[in-house]
Amino acid sequence: MIKKRDRLEVIFDILKVISENYNSIKPTPLLRQSNLSSSSFAEYYKDLLAKDLVKELVDKHGRKYITLTDKGFHYLEKYRQILGFINEFEL
Amino acid sequence: MPMPPMEPMMIVSEILFTILSVIFCFLIYRKTKESYELTKYAGIKYFRESFLFFGLSYVLRFLLGLTFISSIAFDVFLPRGHFFLLFALPLSYFSTMGIFYLLFGTIWKRFDGKKMIIIGHTIAVLMCLVPVFTRSHALLSILQFALLIAAVVLSYTTHQGKLSKMKLLYVLVAVLWLINLFLLGKPHPMFLEAQLVLEVISLGVFYTIYYKLAKWVA
Repeated sequence: MIKKRDRLEVIFDILKVISENYNSIKPTPLLRQSNLSSSSFAEYYKDLLAKDLVKELVDKHGRKYITLTDKGFHYLEKYRQILGFINEFEL
Repeated sequence: MPMPPMEPMMIVSEILFTILSVIFCFLIYRKTKESYELTKYAGIKYFRESFLFFGLSYVLRFLLGLTFISSIAFDVFLPRGHFFLLFALPLSYFSTMGIFYLLFGTIWKRFDGKKMIIIGHTIAVLMCLVPVFTRSHALLSILQFALLIAAVVLSYTTHQGKLSKMKLLYVLVAVLWLINLFLLGKPHPMFLEAQLVLEVISLGVFYTIYYKLAKWVA
């Protein structure tokens, strides 16, 4: 079972990778740079889409790209504060 | 035995205390909204909802108290039998859930969330039967105190014997609620100073939590 604290950190790392790649990255490099297994990545990716933190774009050649949504950018900004709050309140 | 005269100061302090407590509880609930919506983190959900439950409990406690003192303080008779259950039933439920959710916030990683919530709601509903059968809020506060002791023991054993400052603050929130509930409807002047001290401590605890929260969540 994935620990929840780690889960927040993993989500932050995935979003950071996308942001550092000029907010546009293909699924395979993202998987590689996220340091996750394929199955874990698939689980997190599904979760990120469901939470509307990332979205998929398809270019005219049919290639799929992943970008951050406004909510995803907002999450990146707020992440450290939220983690501080969770740690201080032992949640 | 005739009831002693109601101190106007007690009513004023009670009104101010209720207003400030409810404001603090709802501010804590509101301030954590964005963090929860962004992360859907279960610990934040339990934390913020516990303060929503306590806020509602303090509103209902005040309304319940109003039915006790209305005839003494304002010379207005409110039929206590009708109003008691109207306020005491939701008060029993919300305050029990408030205590449970404070506990859940600290232990949710080690237990099955769904089972925890079902057990919490079941016990809270059972707690509603206490005022129905006894017509007493004092017994409710005693039973909730027993529940709180069980919660503290569970949290203590779950965290391998560690009880941090923050957890002590959570225990204080619940203990002060229980004392405030227990003393409800005891309008004797000898309680005035004790009531004022208790209210100041309670507000101090709420302020401390709000202040710590405001450092992280803008």
